[in-house]
Amino acid sequence: MLTINNLVKHRGNQEILSGISFTAKPGRVTGFLGPNGAGKSSTLRILLGLDRATSGSALIDGKPFADLQHPLATVGALLDGSGAHRMRTGRAHLRWIARAAGLSRARVEEVLDIVGLTHAAGKRVGSYSLGMGRRLGMAAALLGDPAILVLDEPVNGLDPQGIRWIRTLIRERAQSGHTVLLSSHLMGELAETVDDVVIMNRGKIVADGTLEEVIGHYSTLEEAFFAMTSEHTGDVV
Amino acid sequence: MSVLSSKTFTRILGAELDKLMTLPLIWHTLISTFMVNIILAAAYTTSSLHAEAGTQNILNIGLASMGYVQAGFIIIGIVAVCSEYTGGQIRTTLTTIPWRGWQLTAKYVALAIVTIPAALIIAATGVLYPYIMMRDTASVAIEINTLIATLIGATGYLTLTTLLSAALGSLIRRTTPVLVTLVSYYFIVGPLMRDALPSIKNYFPDTAGYYMYMVPYANEINALTSVQGTGIVMVWTLILIIIAIVFYRKRDA
Repeated sequence: MLTINNLVKHRGNQEILSGISFTAKPGRVTGFLGPNGAGKSSTLRILLGLDRATSGSALIDGKPFADLQHPLATVGALLDGSGAHRMRTGRAHLRWIARAAGLSRARVEEVLDIVGLTHAAGKRVGSYSLGMGRRLGMAAALLGDPAILVLDEPVNGLDPQGIRWIRTLIRERAQSGHTVLLSSHLMGELAETVDDVVIMNRGKIVADGTLEEVIGHYSTLEEAFFAMTSEHTGDVV
Repeated sequence: MSVLSSKTFTRILGAELDKLMTLPLIWHTLISTFMVNIILAAAYTTSSLHAEAGTQNILNIGLASMGYVQAGFIIIGIVAVCSEYTGGQIRTTLTTIPWRGWQLTAKYVALAIVTIPAALIIAATGVLYPYIMMRDTASVAIEINTLIATLIGATGYLTLTTLLSAALGSLIRRTTPVLVTLVSYYFIVGPLMRDALPSIKNYFPDTAGYYMYMVPYANEINALTSVQGTGIVMVWTLILIIIAIVFYRKRDA
C-alpha cells in the first residue's frame, strides 16, 4: 500500500505540491495522470526517497522509503530514462544492483530474459534505443520481485509488442495482489490498464477515484482528463 | 547515520566496487596515467644520465612526475562520483541503497580499494625505471627503508588526493566544474599561493602532500616531516568527505 498524505513541496519560492493525498492499494493498478509540470514526478521522487518533502508524508506499507529493510524486494521503480550509466553494459548495470540487494547473478539473467534484453545485455547502455533503455529500467525494477511497482511512463519508446507486454505484466501483478502505481500520458493505454485514477494539475489533486468514478459523465478518460486539467475547468471535480 | 549490519555494508561495498570496475573510463584513466608516468620517468632518466654523475637521486627522478600523475587520480576520483549523475544512475543507486550516508561511505572505501594498488604500482614503476636504467652508475644505491617509506608516502598522497577529489565531486556533482576547480588549484593557484603565502603554504594539501613522499633537502627551512604532511592532507580529505556526506544526506538527488 502506498499512502501519500498531505504532501507539500517548495522549490525556491514556488509551491510545486500543495497538500497531495491519495493511496494506491494492493491488488489494483492506480493510474497517475497530469499534464507536464503538474507535480507527478516530484510526488514519485519523494515517495522513492529521492527528494525531501517540505511537509506531509509518502509511505510504503507505513514506512518512508529510507526505512525499508529490503527496498528492492519491496518497491520496483522505473523513472525516466534507463537509470544506467551509458558506458556500462546492461548486464553490468543489473549485476551491481543485484549485488547491492544480495541477489544472485542467475536472477539478473532471468530478468534480462523476462524483458527480452538478453541479446543486448553485453552492449553498452549508450548504444540502446529508447525502448531498450526502458526495458533495462524495467528489468531493474523487477530484479527484486517486489510487491509494489512504481512506474513512470513505462511504455515510452516501446514498440506495440512491448506495450502489450507491459500491460499484461501490470495486470498480472495486480491480479496476484501486488500494488502498481502507473504514471503515463497515454490515456487510451491507461484506460485499458488501470483500476483507479488520480489526476493532478498544478500541484493539486483534481480527481481521485475508480476509473468509472473519474470518467463519470464523460465518454472517455481522455475527455475527463482534459476537462479537469484545462485552464478554466480545474474545479470541475 | 542509521545502524546498518556489516553484511549489508559489505553488499553495498561490493556493489560500489562493481560500479568502479565496470566503468571503462576508470580503466582508461588508470592505463593512461601509468603510460604517462613511464614516459615522464624515461624523459627524466635520460635527462639525468646526461647530467653530472653522482648528483642525481633515483627517488627524486622517479617521483618527479608525481605532479602530473596526480591529475590522473584527480580524474578517477571525480569520475567515480560524478558518473552517478550520468543517465540518471543516481536514482537507481538511491532506490536500491536508500541509506545515503553508508552508500557514499562505501563508495569512498571502494575508491580507496581500487586506488591504493594502482597508486603503488604507478609510483613503484616510476622509481624502478630510473633504477634499472641507471644501475651501472655509482650513485644509484637506495636504502630499502627510504624506498619503502617513499612509496608508501606517494601511494598515500595519490589515494588521499583521489578521495579529496571524489568528495569535492560529491558536492559539485558535475564533472567539468569539479575538474576545472581541482586542476586550476593543483596546477595554477596552488603553486602561485606557495610563493605568495610562504608562511602558511605548508597547510595547503598540495604542499603538505609533497612532504609525504619527498625527503626535504637538508637546508630546507620550515620543511614538514612525512607524518606532518600526511596529517594535514588527511585532515583536508576528512573534512571534505564529512561535508560531502552531510550535504548528500540532506539534499534532493
